Amino acid sequence: MSDVDVPVGPESSLWERILPPAIFLVAALLLWEGAIRWLAIPRWLLPAPSAILERFFKVRNLWLHTGLTVMEAACGFTLSAVLGIALAAGIAHSRFLERGVFPYVVVSNAIPIIAIIPLLTIWFGFGYAPKIMIAAIISFFPIVTNTTRGFKSADARVLDFMRSINATRWQVFAKVQFPTALPFIFAAFRIASSLSLVGAVVAEFYGSDRGLGFLVITSATQLQTDLLFVAIAVLAVLGVGCFSIFGRIERAYGAYQADHEYQR
Amino acid sequence: MPQQLSLGLGTEAAPAPGIRLLDVGVTFRTPRGSVEAVAGASLEIGEGEFLALLGPTGCGKSTLLRVIGDLTDPSRGRVEVRGGAAHAARQRNEFGFVFQEPALLSWRSALENVRLPLEVVGYPADRRTARGEELLGLVGLLGFKDAFPHELSGGMKQRVAIVRALAWGPSILLMDEPFSALDELTRTRLQEDLLALWAVEHKTIVFVTHNISEAVYLADRIAVMSPRPGRIAAVLPVTLPRPRQPEMRDTMEFLAHVHEAREALGA
Repeated sequence: MSDVDVPVGPESSLWERILPPAIFLVAALLLWEGAIRWLAIPRWLLPAPSAILERFFKVRNLWLHTGLTVMEAACGFTLSAVLGIALAAGIAHSRFLERGVFPYVVVSNAIPIIAIIPLLTIWFGFGYAPKIMIAAIISFFPIVTNTTRGFKSADARVLDFMRSINATRWQVFAKVQFPTALPFIFAAFRIASSLSLVGAVVAEFYGSDRGLGFLVITSATQLQTDLLFVAIAVLAVLGVGCFSIFGRIERAYGAYQADHEYQR
Repeated sequence: MPQQLSLGLGTEAAPAPGIRLLDVGVTFRTPRGSVEAVAGASLEIGEGEFLALLGPTGCGKSTLLRVIGDLTDPSRGRVEVRGGAAHAARQRNEFGFVFQEPALLSWRSALENVRLPLEVVGYPADRRTARGEELLGLVGLLGFKDAFPHELSGGMKQRVAIVRALAWGPSILLMDEPFSALDELTRTRLQEDLLALWAVEHKTIVFVTHNISEAVYLADRIAVMSPRPGRIAAVLPVTLPRPRQPEMRDTMEFLAHVHEAREALGA
């Protein structure tokens, strides 16, 4: 009956966790820098880290481009989070919706969303709207499927108990199903937030004059490879940032969820 | 001197017979055909009585309990609770359910778990915490009121589940093998706790179990069920005096009851 005692080891310090990967990062960068110099690789083919860093401080409007892409991704993500959770709640509560809509949500994941960017551009022009829509569409699927699973994974005994005390549907949802689904929702957010960034960037490849996607495309076509690396580096940091923020929230909440297994 | 506990909200109507099962049958339709789980069970359970529903695994005793609590509809027959339909009794929040698994909410502390039904049935908001603490105190868990389920042992979790089912003052406690997942020592302790609680909060208890000595030790009467499809094979009164004491388990009288129940089970 007693719970298993987990031996509590000494908490590894921040330093201990950060030092090993930092060593490898620095080593890799030094190797890269050295290789470029010894082998005299041209800058347009592969710029040295120092050249990329130098370029980083010289890009005009880098923060404008970044801000724009982040804004598009965030709007798309938020849209998709609100609509996706609402739809998942509907699917979890209605057989009709589940049978009628859920198959399409699943099938839509198999469609290469990127292919509809030109269509959205025809309909909505070259502004932010098509980018936001792509970011929303691409992050919609993981949110709906994961959240639906979350709502449906509520403990059958707890649901029986709620029924035995005449809980209303709303009470069951608010007190049992929604809290049960929260870790699933955070897991979905973690995946969807990076996807929305991908959606916004790819949408910017096509028909735009600003944003990190625009920066990537123009620097590549002009063989400004150092600028291309700057854009990629910023995107990498943003993606990792999204992932770790939601991962952190998920773990903080997951501490209470020892009994539940959920989708990664 | 046990502390007098506040009863719930308007559940102390009155009338005579507690629970009556009238030829209750339950048939489940499955893809492989229909399965008769309960076949014509009739039984009367008195107000304030402790009745054990004893039977082998899969005899439909849990199904019968769910029918009493209006969680499963009978295929035929009916259940009357205090003269009305079981459904009406559920609408009045007269049933407190305890399952084999504690089924606590993992993100709520022990106290918050006990508060859950109080929030649902509309118990006065300013008295919920006090009521929860009072109940946790009765089962010796006041010191653990802020602990989360994963920090509690199996026995502690089941204690929380039991007081959760009592919180708003339902008149009937429906218990579905509540101690069968616990080890022997813990089970014995919880049996004592349950009898002590029952002495304070005098409920009608229907207690499903497959453990013969548990049924004898706890109950006023034992309804013995036959294997599937379940029917009431015998109703045996337990004449052991109350309050029950652990020493009674070794008396001839106790063993005679155990023997009698085992005979009725046909085991």
